Amino acid sequence: MAAVFSASRVLGKKILPSKPLLTFCPAIRKLHFYINGKRGDAKVTDAMSMHYPVVDHEFDAVVVGAGGAGLRAAFGLSEAGFNTACVTKLFPTRSHTVAAQGGINAALGNMEEDDWRWHFYDTVKGSDWLGDQDAIHYMTEQAPAAVVELENFGMPFSRTEDGKIYQRAFGGQSLKFGKGGQAHRCCCVADRTGHSLLHTLYGRSLRYDTNYFVEYFALDLLMEGGECQGIIALCMEDGSIHRFRAKNTVIATGGYGRAYFSCTSAHTSTGDGNAMVARGGLPCQDLEFVQFHPTGIYGAGCLITEGCRGEGGILINSEGERFMERYAPNAKDLASRDVVSRSMTIEIREGRGVGPEKDHVYLQLHHLPPQQLATRLPGISETAMIFAGVDVTKEPIPVLPTVHYNMGGIPTNYKGQVITYKDGEDKVVPGLYACGEAGCASVHGANRLGANSLLDLVVFGRACALTIAENNTPGEKIAPLKANAGEESVANLDKMRFANGNTRTSEIRLNMQKTMQSHAAVFRTGEVLKEGCVKMDALYQTLDDIRTFDRGIVWNTDLVETLELQNLMLNAMQTINAAEARKESRGAHAREDFKASQLIGERVDEYDYSKPMQGQDKKPFNKHWRKHTLSYIDPKTGKVTLEYRPVIDDSLNAEDCAAIPPAIRSY
Amino acid sequence: MLSFTVSRTLFCAARRTSLRPTVAALAATRGYRGNAQEPNLIEVPLPPWQEKKGESLDIKRKRLLYESRKRGMLENCILLSLFAKRYLESMNETQLRQYDRLINEPSNDWDIYYWATEAKPTPEVFQGEVMDMLKEFTKNRDKEQRLDAPNLEYLDKSCH
Repeated sequence: MAAVFSASRVLGKKILPSKPLLTFCPAIRKLHFYINGKRGDAKVTDAMSMHYPVVDHEFDAVVVGAGGAGLRAAFGLSEAGFNTACVTKLFPTRSHTVAAQGGINAALGNMEEDDWRWHFYDTVKGSDWLGDQDAIHYMTEQAPAAVVELENFGMPFSRTEDGKIYQRAFGGQSLKFGKGGQAHRCCCVADRTGHSLLHTLYGRSLRYDTNYFVEYFALDLLMEGGECQGIIALCMEDGSIHRFRAKNTVIATGGYGRAYFSCTSAHTSTGDGNAMVARGGLPCQDLEFVQFHPTGIYGAGCLITEGCRGEGGILINSEGERFMERYAPNAKDLASRDVVSRSMTIEIREGRGVGPEKDHVYLQLHHLPPQQLATRLPGISETAMIFAGVDVTKEPIPVLPTVHYNMGGIPTNYKGQVITYKDGEDKVVPGLYACGEAGCASVHGANRLGANSLLDLVVFGRACALTIAENNTPGEKIAPLKANAGEESVANLDKMRFANGNTRTSEIRLNMQKTMQSHAAVFRTGEVLKEGCVKMDALYQTLDDIRTFDRGIVWNTDLVETLELQNLMLNAMQTINAAEARKESRGAHAREDFKASQLIGERVDEYDYSKPMQGQDKKPFNKHWRKHTLSYIDPKTGKVTLEYRPVIDDSLNAEDCAAIPPAIRSY
Repeated sequence: MLSFTVSRTLFCAARRTSLRPTVAALAATRGYRGNAQEPNLIEVPLPPWQEKKGESLDIKRKRLLYESRKRGMLENCILLSLFAKRYLESMNETQLRQYDRLINEPSNDWDIYYWATEAKPTPEVFQGEVMDMLKEFTKNRDKEQRLDAPNLEYLDKSCH
């Protein structure tokens, strides 16, 4: 019965009375008339409504985003009795989490003896000591319980013969603090772990009467006196504006891969949450750390699995040379991801790239027997034909290191509360939480390990729900919103809807993506980054001259993509400026001008950990780089300001789990 | 929402789960909560997909455009937005309704990709004219480069 009720809620969407309580009249809009009749003939009768009907809702909590983290938070809150709204621009099972085919790491110990403290060590090391050890402690300790909980919810994990959850090996996971060989701790549901997670959590949350607002585009946070009071969103179905008043807002909007020309992310990864937070005057953390996967199809960006190279595929340059032999004589094409990415980039920079613009390399598979290709790598042949027009039995596939994940995001503590850093202390922003790829707790630090992301989603989605439940009671009375709260967002929406400048949305977007791809990619150097910052700044100003063509308000994809572009620009500006400022190599941020050798980066820590610490003076905070970047941006001018906050080096409980002191990262 | 085969698989999986003794004592540290201890832990099927009634064809086309461009993974984003660019404006009502069902009813986006590339057989309920169009389109017989989802300007009437 509850399921039927929930079904009608999901389909009915608008739950509260939809009598518009007020309307917004934006300031007088200048109409552009072109007397020569060339373009943008704005006919006055062309249904340009100056009024936007607004619907107000009140909830105990509102979650923005319905991917793995958002669904887990919404479910946790509903289960705890809170009246929860989940606002999402996509149907929940269509969130980007569905693309995840890997698995979830957890030290269950089903394949061999395991201990979550070893997982803790692997994650701290993987983050290149930029991860906050209290958050990593929380995540790795909770991991087994989180996986068992999902199993109880009905998630059909792959099993061993004796019925235990099957676990497989994954990169960067070891036993006995790196000394006991490869660990097997990745739990999966065949190759559809992401889909299964979404399906399970969505189904469960409906049982607890979570209110879903599907295909609503969240515009902004409603901030009042430094406190978050809810969000304002656009309903795509009828063009109405909705304000969600809630004492607790959880942001789970995912990453912003689409700021780059080549990324493995869906077109929905536009960093909406990061931008909402930035417009609210709050900082984003560590945005310069962007993870690159070596083989994404050139242009399309679809991931070509590492398995290709495992089956004998090789990377070649314009001279037909297998260049990995030079960079990694032993491992060759199967060296670790960042080594391969950097090698490919060096080849391109030195002029040995392929294609008309010499800007990518080839992945050759046609030397392998067609039989092997068909049986072992069937998906690759299809993907290459569909997206590159290439027959893998005859031609090589064009590939490029491709943006895959954003380690940075909205800074939170280990409980999921959003923080700022003032007067040397972390200060919680009341009413605001973040989790998933959008959040930065920070468990991934400078580099993420595979299969840790799905774990991040469920653990911190749950953490947000728990923290809210601990500090609030359902049905608490809250002060109403100011009458004009969210006015600026609607004015911006209106402005974008009728924008009639000279540069199309798609042009600005392509320019931004190409700039980021050439100036803030795998290998970064000071001058190239500086040049990129200048170019991006100029591009940011062109946003004022943008041009859209769809003037409607119902299902206006052009408008949504323009708003997404605004969000991407805010993320991209902060990323490139933070990368330019960080003068060291750490994890995924590799600076060619700060490296110990061609492939190994040089970290600038408070001590030089490659030498004994005795006799060394500790560098002061402003002279080393083992710290988090906090970036603020002024949306009007695009100016980025940077501050820094220290890494948390203590675990939650030193007796339970000893913190790992920094060391040189070698595998 | 789920096709019959998928929901049947889930039901079997759920039956297997419920026969297994539920793990009772979960980690007690830090007030661990969230183990929904209910008597019946069978997975709830998602509410069935329902066609939108009373939607004009124009609005349907606009909605399907948005829903073609915003998918769960990149492969579908590119494939479906290119497909929509080629065919959406000229589809008749029957085709639009078939397309609506095809892209909105399946719960796993990967399934649509596997059916379009014929890596897996298309379930009967989704077979039809539009599915055939999609399969043919996916084959890319003209070997055109499909580097990215197209930008929207092909819809801009003012520049034609």
